[in-house]
Formats: sequence, structure tokens, C-alpha cells
Amino acid sequence: MRTRVAGWLLAGVLAGGTLMSAADAQPAPAEPEIPSATRDTNVPAVFVPADRTPLPAPAPARRAEWPQAFTEAVPTSLADLRQIQQQAEKMAAQVSPAVVVVQIGIISGSGVIITTNGIVLTAGHVCGRPNRAVRFIFPDGRVAHGRTLGADLGSDVGLLQITDPGVWPHAEMGDLRQARAGDWVMALGYPGGFDRQRSVVVRLGRIIQIAPEAFQTDCTIAGGDSGGPLIDLRGRVIGIHSFISLDPTENYHVPTTQYHAVWNQLVRGENAGEAARPRAYVGASPVDDAGGCRLAALDVNGPASKAGLKAGDMVRKVDGRNILAAAAFQRWVAEAEPGETLTVEVQRGGKVLTFSVKLMPRPKSG
Amino acid sequence: MVWLAPSAVAQGVSESRVLPSVDYRDGDQTLNAFAPVSAATRYSIVKLNVDGGTVALGTVVGTNGLALTKASELKPGRLTCWLAGGREVPAERLGVDEDDDLALVRVQATDLKPITWATENTVVGQWAVTPGIEETPFAVGIISALPRQIRFPRALIGVQFDFATSQPKIALILAGMGAEKAGLTAGDLIVAVNNAAVTNREQVVERLREFHDGQTVTLRVERAARQFDVAVRMTALPTDEEASTSRFSERFNHPAGEVSRRANGFTMALQHDTVLPPWLCGGPLVDLDGKAIGINIARASRVATFALPPDVVKRALAKLEPAPAPAVQAAR
Repeated sequence: MRTRVAGWLLAGVLAGGTLMSAADAQPAPAEPEIPSATRDTNVPAVFVPADRTPLPAPAPARRAEWPQAFTEAVPTSLADLRQIQQQAEKMAAQVSPAVVVVQIGIISGSGVIITTNGIVLTAGHVCGRPNRAVRFIFPDGRVAHGRTLGADLGSDVGLLQITDPGVWPHAEMGDLRQARAGDWVMALGYPGGFDRQRSVVVRLGRIIQIAPEAFQTDCTIAGGDSGGPLIDLRGRVIGIHSFISLDPTENYHVPTTQYHAVWNQLVRGENAGEAARPRAYVGASPVDDAGGCRLAALDVNGPASKAGLKAGDMVRKVDGRNILAAAAFQRWVAEAEPGETLTVEVQRGGKVLTFSVKLMPRPKSG
Repeated sequence: MVWLAPSAVAQGVSESRVLPSVDYRDGDQTLNAFAPVSAATRYSIVKLNVDGGTVALGTVVGTNGLALTKASELKPGRLTCWLAGGREVPAERLGVDEDDDLALVRVQATDLKPITWATENTVVGQWAVTPGIEETPFAVGIISALPRQIRFPRALIGVQFDFATSQPKIALILAGMGAEKAGLTAGDLIVAVNNAAVTNREQVVERLREFHDGQTVTLRVERAARQFDVAVRMTALPTDEEASTSRFSERFNHPAGEVSRRANGFTMALQHDTVLPPWLCGGPLVDLDGKAIGINIARASRVATFALPPDVVKRALAKLEPAPAPAVQAAR
């Protein structure tokens, strides 16, 4: 039994307000470029978009050409460590510009651009349904806009498209089939969401074990990293951050090979495999009021209304935890499953009242 | 997590070997490669104990036994230090710089070697080593993000106002926060914050925004036509970054007991990804040459440890360092 939801790396709810001005307009892109190993002709592309050539066979691993420190069981000297460091510094600088904050609705995750025309890999649970509006924030704070393409919630892969015109920085694709347990790898992303003062956050670790569905590293990742890239020390994307356990050495990434099987559906903007994760619906719109969260409007047929909540109620607690802002209330709902019951404590006039709200699946519209 | 099936191999993935834990980034085998870094630094580090229990590492900053450490971990009690080589010696507290949570201590030892500070700027991706007093480092990581200011999270007194009026009239007291402990009750009207008069809710919110978690503000309160002052302690608001309002983020990103009690409010700090327990902050963060690129000042989350860069440390040290004894006293 997987408990993926419990460890999904959704970042904070976006607590309203714009973060940045729009990106400068850039010239329209040329023909879409196939993501490929442009700097290393020995390693061909591992996939191409649907309307082009089919997926080529993976290239043989050329591990023999890698610096010794990357392939030995453990580093044994300062010289080995310097070799790893030199490459880590280089890769961090090379790949960071292609790693973006991904904001969709109230969810904030990470993503990595893999083509100059702005195809972005992210996690399925960040992407969600097709054709939703996406806001991308670059490490330098620039903003671009786009849409969700397809997602597969089963394997947790998702695809996004930047629709603003531009020629975008992008990372090369790698192939997990060339990787081995023990390889040094780097995780990039935005734990905690966008932070104007901080830029992209870089972490180093090793592959602990590989499986087709997900692989484990000791690169620590956290909420907000979801959808960010795991790269090998050649700077190529081999995985997308997916979920974690409480142990800091248990960080799980979806292999980019998982994109191959459903690529055609993803680029067409279809959800593949498992249906989209059902989202919970409470039927109440919370707003920030000085010092708290107020229910501004209720769906008369929604769970909140049925449970007895009324517009104007000030939400004090959900499941025993203080609710101090509308975003906190939204977040509890976003993280809950349909069918789950939340205990909501509100202030109405001078009285404190408690209600049991049984969440419904979100209605299909919008 | 038990579902990573060995059948992986059958599906075209190259192997199902599991990396032995000694080969993890923080595994003993990997840390052995860093032994030269520890050899260069372990006599510049002390392990601080209060009443026999380790609370922090210390960074030796002077030839006369002066060391800096994380102030907020230095709870009251008998202070001693373990030194490299196994000696335990007494130490005394000299002063605290609240701004960056540094404390200066004097260690009763003459053979300690001041740490050497790195002069080059740190680079994202470079090794960041946390040596202890042992022969190999305690843990290692890399620089994750360049130095930035680490702000205090927003803090609250813990009330909800009555929205029927624009006056700052309290409608409700949040359980467990400062207002409740100070004895405020529903119906109280706030008329001044730290002696500055206020007439509406927004003014109160605006003034309180200047204070952070743990600080105390004085509120003048009107109750039943009488006015009186109360001291109210501010409590941090869970921010999105901290995500304490989330059912799993708190548990996963800020595991209880594994982050520092004080993990923010620093002038400048660089971020690294070393998995460091809160009771081993205060020691130097060093590069592969054994030069200090900072002092570890907080374990902040699952992914972040903060270190004060050398210029911040040097400024704090200049404030804390005891003035040379006057000549008259020296003659006595």
C-alpha cells in the first residue's frame, strides 16, 4: 500500500497577491526543438514530442568516459571530492535557469523546462487537470504564463507548456537506464514555494535504489519541491521529485522514463492512466479578515452549508488546529480527500460552534 | 516504504542494487574521505555540554580559549567542553549577541587553535563540511543557496477582533497564545500599543507587525470604563513556508525535535543541505581546505541548515570580545 498522498510535496497555498511583474516579451520561438544532448553528441535524445519521430532506443551508457570519482563506490580522497565538487558547481549553474516555480490554482510546486519552446516537466499531482492556467516564476523572479497539458496521476508525471512567446532556457534529458545506485545526483527546486530573496535551492546526494516507478535518493526534498528535477552530474534530468517519508534519506523521484509511455497523451493535453486525483469540495469561500478567516459565501448545496455553517462565520479551528488565515483553511481542504469529515470550529456572534463537515468530490465544472 | 519491488530489473531498469547505508552521502565510508578536513579543523572546535549533556559545538576564535556558539542552545547549568583528544575542561559564558543568536564563551584550555576563515566567496554546489572533534566530520552537505537575510516569522498576540466595529475590540481569545495568558477577555478594547494610542483595528495590526515571536508588547486595555496596562507575549504566525497549518507539511518538513528552537531572524545566512541535529549547531562550516565559510546557526527544516557567513560572525565577535584589562588592574 502506497501512502503517496501523505508525503506528496505540495507546497504552500498561495496566499493571494501578485508576486512579480510580467516577464519581458521575447521574440517568437523558432521550430520546437527536440530536447537532446546538445553538448554531447555521443548521447542522443531519449524521447521526442509526439508529432515527431518515435522514441529512439536508449544510448549505451558511456560511463567509462565519466570522471573516476563519479563511478567509484565511495570517494576515497580529497581529490575525488574536489572532482565531484567541480562538477556539482558547474551543473548547479548550468541547470538552475531552467528550474521554475509552478503555480496552479492554490498549489505551488516546481518544474523543469526541457525545450526552448517551453515544455515543462512537473509532477502529476502538481499538474492536475489539463488546460488550467499556470504561472511560472524563474530563479531571477521573472514570470511567464502557460497551461497545463496532460498528467498521469498513477505514475505522478505531468506536463506543462509556457504559452508566452520566448526562447526558454532548458535542461537536457537524461536516461535513468544509464544510472546506477551510488551515482551522485543533484536535486533542484523551490521548497516552501517562491522566495524572492532565495532563488532555486540545490541539494546533493546519491541514488540509493532504482525501480521503474520511482527511485530513492538521499537528496533531501520537501513541500514545494514536487515536480522539480533530479539531475545526474552531467546535468541531465533523470527524475522528477514526487514524494518523501519522514526519514531524510527517503526521497522519491519519478524516473523520466515514465514520461515515455504516456508522452503522446501528455502533449495532447490528455490525462493518461489513472483518473485525476479526486479533489475535495467544501462549498465555502473563505476570505482573510483582520486577524482571521471568514466564510464569505457558501454553496447552499455544498457540504459546509449542509453541516450548518453560515456566511459570516469566523473559522477558528479545523481538526483542532488554529486557523489564522483563509489560505490555511483552503489548504486543509486541498489536502483532504473527498468523503473525509473535517471538524470545523467557528465563532458566530458571541458563540463558538463546532460542525462536522463531510467533504464531497469537487464538481466537474471549471 | 517497502514497495520498491525487485522486479524492477525485468522492466528494463538496469539493476536493483541498494546502496549500502555506509555509502550514503552521510555514511561512514563517504565521511572517511573527509578525514583530512577534520584533521585540519578539529582542534578549532569544542563540544559544549551543560550539566553533562551536549548542547552545541563551539568555534574557536581566539588563542586565549575564546569560542563562539549558538546562544539559544546554551541553557543554564554547569558549562564544560569536550576537546579533540578527549579532555573535558570547564568553560564560562562571556556574552550573547541576540541579533544573530551567537554566544561567546571562554574555554579553560591554552592549546586551542583559532579557526581560519575562508576569504573567497562561497559557490552554490560546493562542499559544506561540519566537522566535530572526532577524526571524521559529523556530517556533510553542499551550499544550497547564497547568503540572504532570514526574517522572523510574523507574530500575533492571539485575538480576533469584533468586526461589527472599527474599534480594536476583542471578540475572541485564541487558546494558548499571549492574550489568553495575559488575562485579556472578549469585550476588551485596546487603546494603546507600547504607549502609542490606537483607535482602529488596522493600527493595532500594523504596530504589532514590528514585533516577533517571543517579544513582549504592552497593551493599554479598556475594560468596564477602566484602563490598565498588560504585557502580552507575541507568538509566531505559521507562514506558508513553515506550513504549520498543513496536516503533513509540519510533520514532514519540520519534524518535531529535529529543527532548532530559534531558526530565523538572522542578519545574513547561507543555506546548506547538511542534515544536522539542532544540538550540533554552533560549530564551523568549512570547505575542503578546512577554511570556515560560516558558523552553523540553525537547523531550519528537512532541507535547510543555516550558517552565518564570516563577515557576520566577525562583526558579532567585535561586539562581544572583552575589552583588554586596564593597565591598573593588570599591575595589581
